[in-house]
Amino acid sequence: MTEQIGFFLLSWLDPSLLALTAAGTLAGIYIGAIPGLSVTMAASILISFTFTWEVNAALALIAGVFTGGVYGGSRSAILLNIPGAPAAIATALDGYPLARRGEAGVAIGLSTVMSVIGGFVGIIALAVAAPVISDFALLFAPRDYLLLAVMGLLLVGTMSGESLAKGLFAGALGVALGMVGLDPMTAEGRFTLGTVQLMAGIPYVAAMIGFFGVSEALVQLHNLRVKPVKQDVSRIVPPWHLVRKYLPLSLRSSLIGVVIGALPGTGGDIAALMAYDQAKRTVKNPSRPFGEGAYEGLIAPESANNAAVGGAYVPMLTLGIPGDAVTAVIIGALFIHGLKPGPMLMIETPHLFWFTVGNLTLANIFLLVFGLTGIRAFAKLVECPPSVLIPLILVLSVVGTYAIQNSVVDVYFMLGFGIFGYLLKMYGFQVGPVVLGMILGPMIDVSWRRAVISVGDDLGFFVEEAFASPLTLVLLAFMSFLLLSQVPFGALWRRLRGQPPG
Amino acid sequence: MMHRRMLLGGLAAAPLLGATTARAQAFPSRDLLGVIQWGAGGATDVTGRAVTPHVEAALGQKIVLQNRTGGTGAIGLTYVHGLPSDGYTLLYGAENPLLYKVLNISRLDYTDFTPICLLARSVPVIVANKDKPWNSLKELVEDMRRNPGRIRMASTGPGGQAHVVSTMLASTGPFRHISIPFDGEGPGLTALQGGHADWMTVGSGAVAEHVRAGRVKALAVFNDAPLPSLPNVPPATADYPELARLMPWGSFYGVWAKKDIPAEAREKLVAAFRTGTANPQFTQLMTGNGNVVMNTSGAEAEAFLARWQSVTAWILQEAGAARTDPATLNIPRPS
Repeated sequence: MTEQIGFFLLSWLDPSLLALTAAGTLAGIYIGAIPGLSVTMAASILISFTFTWEVNAALALIAGVFTGGVYGGSRSAILLNIPGAPAAIATALDGYPLARRGEAGVAIGLSTVMSVIGGFVGIIALAVAAPVISDFALLFAPRDYLLLAVMGLLLVGTMSGESLAKGLFAGALGVALGMVGLDPMTAEGRFTLGTVQLMAGIPYVAAMIGFFGVSEALVQLHNLRVKPVKQDVSRIVPPWHLVRKYLPLSLRSSLIGVVIGALPGTGGDIAALMAYDQAKRTVKNPSRPFGEGAYEGLIAPESANNAAVGGAYVPMLTLGIPGDAVTAVIIGALFIHGLKPGPMLMIETPHLFWFTVGNLTLANIFLLVFGLTGIRAFAKLVECPPSVLIPLILVLSVVGTYAIQNSVVDVYFMLGFGIFGYLLKMYGFQVGPVVLGMILGPMIDVSWRRAVISVGDDLGFFVEEAFASPLTLVLLAFMSFLLLSQVPFGALWRRLRGQPPG
Repeated sequence: MMHRRMLLGGLAAAPLLGATTARAQAFPSRDLLGVIQWGAGGATDVTGRAVTPHVEAALGQKIVLQNRTGGTGAIGLTYVHGLPSDGYTLLYGAENPLLYKVLNISRLDYTDFTPICLLARSVPVIVANKDKPWNSLKELVEDMRRNPGRIRMASTGPGGQAHVVSTMLASTGPFRHISIPFDGEGPGLTALQGGHADWMTVGSGAVAEHVRAGRVKALAVFNDAPLPSLPNVPPATADYPELARLMPWGSFYGVWAKKDIPAEAREKLVAAFRTGTANPQFTQLMTGNGNVVMNTSGAEAEAFLARWQSVTAWILQEAGAARTDPATLNIPRPS
């Protein structure tokens, strides 16, 4: 036990490791905040960079960047409506309306505290229950991923805005866009028009930046003469009673984050979206309606995406299976440093486990410090006149998109989606469901096909297997509940009887 | 205003200046770009990132690595092909492009490139879920013959290691199984451990630790001799000696440049990679993980690639999995 505490405190007591974790967290916040720069990219660059270092130093730096980066995405989502990373898409839904109300400071402060709470829940889950969670994650069969993705797609209902029909159209459009590229199962080209550029598909980060950032900038052109909203920066650290009030929601969302993060096929983006959906369904009296600046709509995704960080480490440290793209890179880093990532890692190098737990804890403490400082300057950014802010958003969008994979084609896509998104918004369509469809559509596609291939196209066998699995049954029951609880049976019954609704 | 014009003039002149000095100085006079065909954390990526620092030391310049994924590697290959043939862009690739034309994935493949160095190859290991009754490759294959269309294999898509090895196994006598495509070896191995697939073929590097921990059961290595990293796992030739004609077979990782780069650049690159790949730190890393270090270039590498392509393309053609007949592509039948 004392030995484990020693490993846990390794990076707390060693000044150079302490400094590296701090530097990583700070750098991560800015990498996360700039759309297009991703944590995966930063981590893989760090591997080449830290090749000659000691492995502990490299891991400390990466843990900091990971923690900071997942949080950083919320900054640009709240201030500019450009999610800095896919994990911050859900944050933009209520975060940006808060900034437009002059509450950017409160929003950033609250998202910082909730991210840290989520981060700690993830770490506790990792430290206490890692083997149990990773065994649970292995239970998910292709059909269960299908159910998860379909549940995620039900979010279209909550993201549709004024018209469900328009929301469904936008969601379906996103699914279709997500299908572009080589079929992941047969390598057959789909909608590629015979060009190589389309073979890798349309990067959904480019679409995300276009649909959220550029289209919002274009919408802003309509009210150039409107004076920017004055930002209230008198209170940055959220009052204790607010934190305590939202703690249960934050914990609930964090648990979703841990599980979704630990699943090898899903990461922080889906965790945040599902947590947002959960909040919208369970919170009876939100501070404001969702989508108009509800604190709940900010807290749920921000807790969940940081909890997903701890979750992603779970299968990586216990089984050598990456929980997401970043942990896949970390596995590569361990390998290059001569360690053997795999199921024996925890047995043969137990210090690595507690070192990582200690590191993540430290990174979250730094996150709290860095996250709560400098908010004032950031919040004032939104007070810039449109003539400064709009070009800034456009430049950031172009640079960020180019940075994804140094491709000009992606920039054209991004600009095209920006203009298209502007037109959609003008006609009352929401752009959120499009991006949601692009993320979940491909997951539904491959999970469904894998599930059907698994049973040799035998539907009877499919049903038999699904009913033999308690996990599938629970997911199925939960999804049915989600669907049925939203159906207005009373009104339907009255309509069938020919009575006027009322 | 004057200032701005001067600045712009200076910027415009900069590339010209760079070009002239590059011509005057010996290769390499600036950083190189290494494009990795596959994603961060995968075998191609890890092998490439592990060797590059040693190559940089021999070359005296940095190699900036970048992952360009998608289209089973075709995106990265096409990207490098579109850049100038000056020797400053390298392609870090795997075996897949050798099958692009047979599987109709891309019209470009390694025939437009020259191998700078084949770094290492992995040996396929046939593994099963640990609760399955099979204890040898023969038991698995015979069970698949007894229960056609019931046993599930995790695959990595057409032309992938699992697909080709199962086709090769079926050349000993046909069997029918379910083949579920996953996004890569890692996700396939995850599904195998969760019981959602019964068996699969994985590269030795990716699976060695899982075998050692007893999370999966290794039935055979697809080689004509046991591997030093998995000494207790029998070779596939123990059950099926006729498979020996197809070996050695498996994924491999290497570095390519465009065919028409200057001879001087090619020689420097080949020499630097030869030195880098021979670095004991790299070789230990590779062998420790069950890979076989190749470190081959020139005619030897060309011969290896030609044989690999011929063996694989024709086994796919015989199984009806090829989309373009290798004969029409002038790929000779294996001798």
